[in-house]
Amino acid sequence: MPANLFPAPVEIFRFLPEIILALGGTLIMVLEALTGDRQPKNALGHVSLAALFAALVAAVAVHGSPGPAFSSMLLVDGFATFFRVVVIAVGILTVFSSYRYLSREGANTGEYYALVLFSVAGQGVMVTANELIMIFIGLEISSIATYVMAGLLRDDARANESALKYFLLGSFATAFLLYGIAFLYGATGTTNLTAIRETVLRADGPSPLLLGLAAALMLVGFGFKISSAPFQMWAPDVYQGAPTPVTAFMSAGPKAAAFAIFLRVFVTIFEPIGDRWEPIIWVFALASMTIGNFAALTQSNVKRMLAYSSIAHAGYVLVALCARSDIGTAAAMFYLAAYALMNVGAFAVVAYICGKGEKYVGIDDLAGLGSRRPAVAAALTIFLCSLIGVPLTGGFFGKFYIFKAALESKLIWLTVLGLLNSAVAAYYYLRMLVVMYMREPGEATENLEPLPAGLRTALFTSAAGVLLLGIFPSRILEFAVQSAKLFGR
Amino acid sequence: MSFLGWFLLTPLAAFLLLLLLPREQEKTIRVAALALSLAIFGLSLGLLAGEPRETDLAWIPELNIRYHVAVDGLSIWLILLTTLLTPISILISWKYIDRRVKEFHAFLLLLEFGVLGVFAAMDLFLFYVYWEVGLVPMYFLIGIWGHDRRIYAAVKFFLYTMAASVLMLASIIYVYQRAGTFDYPAILAMLASGKLTFTSLEQTLLFLAFFVAFAVKVPLFPLHTWLPDAHVEAPTAGSVMLASVLLKLGTYGILRFCLPMFPTAARENAGWIAVLAIVGIVYGALVAMVQPNVKKLVAYSSVSHLGFVILGIFSFNQQGFDGAVYQMLNHGVSTGALFMLVGYLYERRHSLEIQDYGGVSTPAPWLSTVFLITTLASIGLPTLNNFVGEFLVLQGAAQADFRWAVFAATGVILSACYMLWMYQRTFYGETPEKVTHQMTDLNGREWAAILPLLALMVWMGTAAETFLPRISAANRLILQQTTVNVPFNVQTPAPRPDVAAKEIADAR
Amino acid sequence: MQGVPLSWYLILSAILFALGVAGFLFRRSIITVFMSIELMLNAVNLSFVAFSYQFKQVDGHLFTFFVMVVAAAEAAVGLAIILTVFRNRATLNIDEINSLKY
Repeated sequence: MPANLFPAPVEIFRFLPEIILALGGTLIMVLEALTGDRQPKNALGHVSLAALFAALVAAVAVHGSPGPAFSSMLLVDGFATFFRVVVIAVGILTVFSSYRYLSREGANTGEYYALVLFSVAGQGVMVTANELIMIFIGLEISSIATYVMAGLLRDDARANESALKYFLLGSFATAFLLYGIAFLYGATGTTNLTAIRETVLRADGPSPLLLGLAAALMLVGFGFKISSAPFQMWAPDVYQGAPTPVTAFMSAGPKAAAFAIFLRVFVTIFEPIGDRWEPIIWVFALASMTIGNFAALTQSNVKRMLAYSSIAHAGYVLVALCARSDIGTAAAMFYLAAYALMNVGAFAVVAYICGKGEKYVGIDDLAGLGSRRPAVAAALTIFLCSLIGVPLTGGFFGKFYIFKAALESKLIWLTVLGLLNSAVAAYYYLRMLVVMYMREPGEATENLEPLPAGLRTALFTSAAGVLLLGIFPSRILEFAVQSAKLFGR
Repeated sequence: MSFLGWFLLTPLAAFLLLLLLPREQEKTIRVAALALSLAIFGLSLGLLAGEPRETDLAWIPELNIRYHVAVDGLSIWLILLTTLLTPISILISWKYIDRRVKEFHAFLLLLEFGVLGVFAAMDLFLFYVYWEVGLVPMYFLIGIWGHDRRIYAAVKFFLYTMAASVLMLASIIYVYQRAGTFDYPAILAMLASGKLTFTSLEQTLLFLAFFVAFAVKVPLFPLHTWLPDAHVEAPTAGSVMLASVLLKLGTYGILRFCLPMFPTAARENAGWIAVLAIVGIVYGALVAMVQPNVKKLVAYSSVSHLGFVILGIFSFNQQGFDGAVYQMLNHGVSTGALFMLVGYLYERRHSLEIQDYGGVSTPAPWLSTVFLITTLASIGLPTLNNFVGEFLVLQGAAQADFRWAVFAATGVILSACYMLWMYQRTFYGETPEKVTHQMTDLNGREWAAILPLLALMVWMGTAAETFLPRISAANRLILQQTTVNVPFNVQTPAPRPDVAAKEIADAR
Repeated sequence: MQGVPLSWYLILSAILFALGVAGFLFRRSIITVFMSIELMLNAVNLSFVAFSYQFKQVDGHLFTFFVMVVAAAEAAVGLAIILTVFRNRATLNIDEINSLKY
């Protein structure tokens, strides 16, 4: 039908956040080419912030007119809006915490900000996708931009290595995901999620063999993308080597988006064969929590430790997925939002401390932060408490909600083991608190520059967000629960 | 929101207010913290006055989590004890804490916030939140302002409590799953009416999960190993708060939650728990006897004293409960005072080893007198507070099982031995020159801090009727709950016909 | 369906994919590893086309085009990253690129 060739205005409107981000990114690249070295300090960063804020507003506004777009290639629902807001917020926080870092490393270039925008746009496509092709394209837009961001510091051998590993493992994972998609297409004859869902539910549904193969292969692909055990081995190296603001970004944004499609695909399409993948996710969840937490115990590098902790946190979210219920989905959403805030916040502190060339990224380098920069230390304390799961923080409430969902689905052992795991985790987060408050200042904290405005904004916004999610979770929780129900089940 | 609801938020407000003060003005901070905590104490006296002492507001409506707080005879005195000890802790830290003054006082108020909340929470989720919130400031109090091995002690304290309490969280969620609410009175009502029943296995597991979380905090032998470390390393104010208030969280939790919710399991397990309590009483006393470190001695005496509380609770009778609650308060007053006095000694002599003292009574007669009164109170001398509590506990224990009372009574005797022996070695005998030189007598601030506790020791020892009626009323209700609920919850599985038939066939 | 049955295509695609995985895991030169990934992607393309032919649809073909475009973009970025690594270390052996750890 020719009419369909021209999307209705409302459909374009539903895609507005991504349009803004893509245009913003392009604009920044053009501006950089035009102005060359004459651009005012941080100007391009400000442009990217403007684009991100505009996209945030658009994402919220678009929520007012939910529905499909572009022949049902995209679907704007509560779930999509939730994750859109999360990934855009991660983008904003990343830009705020990048200014100082980039100028310190002499890499304050427009391309970085453009890449952030492109990556966030890709994630936006991912979370709104209702079509396997869109999932794939969104994933790749996001991933390719992030590969480049990881390798931004061209002369830094560690960053190169990190980018290379991220790239190779990321592409490897994509190939698996794609192969799974191919089988899913082969099993159902369509790439539209809604149509696939209908086919799967029909009595003469697709061949269970093909469907199972598709699920297994996609599980491998997603497993890599969310750094779940047993596909976690790339994460520590990549997180450690990448520039810290980029680490903050990729541990939160792309991960949340990957989880979003993971949830969407597995809770809708593969739900009928859920009995078969649930035990696998069960093992993945437990393995991620255990490997992540126990490996983190022995780390001396903050970034590497946080990388292992992010593996463990992926495990917690998998527990929610394992519950296979609306509550579980809502719990995963809530947790990912809280996790994004606390993790970006923690990495932002590292970006502040680390100094030129990331000299100070050891846990010991935090020594004396509590007396030298009490406000920063207080913010980091909030993030760490949230990561531990101390009440009145978003991390606690998220964890509580996840384990509640798990218990409702009779996953008693997983709950008990997961909670014990979180007690183990307390140990290594406490180590950071110990060093921060109970040791005399060292070289790193002795000569700290005053907290730059951008970093301050990033830190305090995420700290406030973590507390807000912990003390007054009602609104967001309500939204998550409703969105999880909208979720085509 | 009623008075109580606002009152419980006052320490948090004080905490935030303190954070706003500039860190350089240490004097202002101290005065502000003292004034605020005294004001909170004054307000808390208002709780005695009367109704309404309950607040019930929606907090997280999606999950039916409520800000439900209430005060009854069980919690009122513990709350007053907490609000009294906070200004006292600030007073005794006036000179002792000389760095990071602002954080210290802020954490102290945050601790007060968490502890008061635990005593008042009537919603299981809220209870857990307060329970963990109290953990963080205590961790910092030990870890930043403690002695040499403070980091080890702080981490050990945190991990023990955290690890034990995560299973309680799982149990709370499980109870919520079954009951559909976190509201504690509602859960109890459901249990009483038989709307909610737990199978025997469920009850045992849930009981154990709650009990272990509380037992670590108490601490019950053999989960006590964090306590001596934490006490010895903590600064004086930290030790006082830890001993007087935080340990009570555990016993309070057992009495408030474990018994009424899981009465059958509690009764079934009472035997070995009472045995552990007695082992704790005797073991704590014996270890205290050989301690060369005076603070460690007092810490182990806590293990011994808290054993009485557990024993009283698991006697399952009115005297036992009353004695246990009274003993919680007594221990808070007298051991708190002991830790303060040990702190006074340390501030002068900078040592906690008993061998570094001797003959202190010559240069510091008033300090010695006060110490002696406290020591005697701790031993359980009649007319002083501990006597009443220990007597009631032993009476209750004797009703439950006479052997328990016999063994527990040896703890009383042993406590006289180690306390008096310690007192003798510290305050009498030769006075080394250093001691003469360093020991000055109590100053006005120190008097101000210790006097209220001395007065309480005498008051509680001679006029127990001020306190006991309210306590007894609350305990009567709990005792009733532990008996009333039992028939509803004991589920004897009916013999399945096929199994029965097979058995009959086999018998033939 | 006449001619070659669908399963043959799928088996071939699976073999190619497996070869790609094996190459990724066991080869030591970054370039070969990178080529292995391309092989995996093309194996997937073969599946898409085979399925598409089976269903008499164009969706699978379309997907193939998208995969090719994205693979090209990925190759551009990937080769650039490999180049910077080579410039910094003068080696393309994957075992020697292990500075990160502890």
